[in-house]
Amino acid sequence: MPITISKSILLAPKVPSIAVVGLMLAQFVIFNIVNNPEPTCTLKVERPHHFTSIKERQGIDAIKLNITSECTAPQEYTVITAQIQMLENNREITVSNFISRKAAAISKSSGKAVFKNLFTKCEFGDESSYRGSAKGYVRIKGGKEIRVEGNSGKYEAENCVIGAQ
Amino acid sequence: MSYFEECLRLGEWLSEADRRALYRYLLESNKENYKAQANLLLENSSLNRRIANGEVIYTLQSNQVTYKARKIGSVEFSSEMRKMQLMGIQLIDTQRLRKFFAQSDVDVIQNFPLPGENQESEGGICVDTYPYYTLAYYANGGNPIKGIIKKLRTNDKDILTKLRTL
Repeated sequence: MPITISKSILLAPKVPSIAVVGLMLAQFVIFNIVNNPEPTCTLKVERPHHFTSIKERQGIDAIKLNITSECTAPQEYTVITAQIQMLENNREITVSNFISRKAAAISKSSGKAVFKNLFTKCEFGDESSYRGSAKGYVRIKGGKEIRVEGNSGKYEAENCVIGAQ
Repeated sequence: MSYFEECLRLGEWLSEADRRALYRYLLESNKENYKAQANLLLENSSLNRRIANGEVIYTLQSNQVTYKARKIGSVEFSSEMRKMQLMGIQLIDTQRLRKFFAQSDVDVIQNFPLPGENQESEGGICVDTYPYYTLAYYANGGNPIKGIIKKLRTNDKDILTKLRTL
């Protein structure tokens, strides 16, 4: 006796179509997250150091702070406020509170911005230990703002003393 | 070489105090020049100026003035560097534009200095976030009362005297 299979059983999908659409959507979302991750930014604060070139050119002793912000996506600019802290009798004191600076990306498609003019006069001779810190935000191309913060790590000694502000 | 001419070559070697003093010096020494240029900008809605090794283009649109800058000889202008809202009253706007010009001159001097002994480091344009003519500058974006106190305490007399006399 021949086996007859109903046509409607063969054509009926085993997985409901709503689940198929859902799976496709989930795949699309995961694919986009993996391939276009949210941009991230870091603030690189180098240790404050004796600014030798200004000494050579202008005869001024100063402690300089180099800061760069780097993002995984092109940025428009970064805004920061930076500080230099000094150790005095094992206490942290802020000796330089820089005015807020805004640095544009080094080129229009770059994720990097470099801060300049961050230095403060000091008196050469005695040794003091310094640390740099900064915080602010990066404006990513397209308008998103990402908050950034960083410091130079442990205190490092320099042969120049900044007077307290 | 005068101290002002030296400042045109210092670029990123200009300190906070140098920049503030430079702003005040430019404002007073260029008073008539800025006034004439402000009138030109108000009439034509566009103005080109040069200072140190930089070129600035000002645009006036819907009572808002903006500026872009570039190094002389470069192809591309920066993106918009600053903006200022005007009031539509010529006398007041001329005063405000004078401050805007002095501010942009200091911004350009620190980023596009005249060639000198100081080597420029890699990087894009870097300026003080808040303009010198606002209390936000002195308050670092914080409380304006704090700004007033800080402004009263700020003394750039020595550099200003150097700019006026040397």
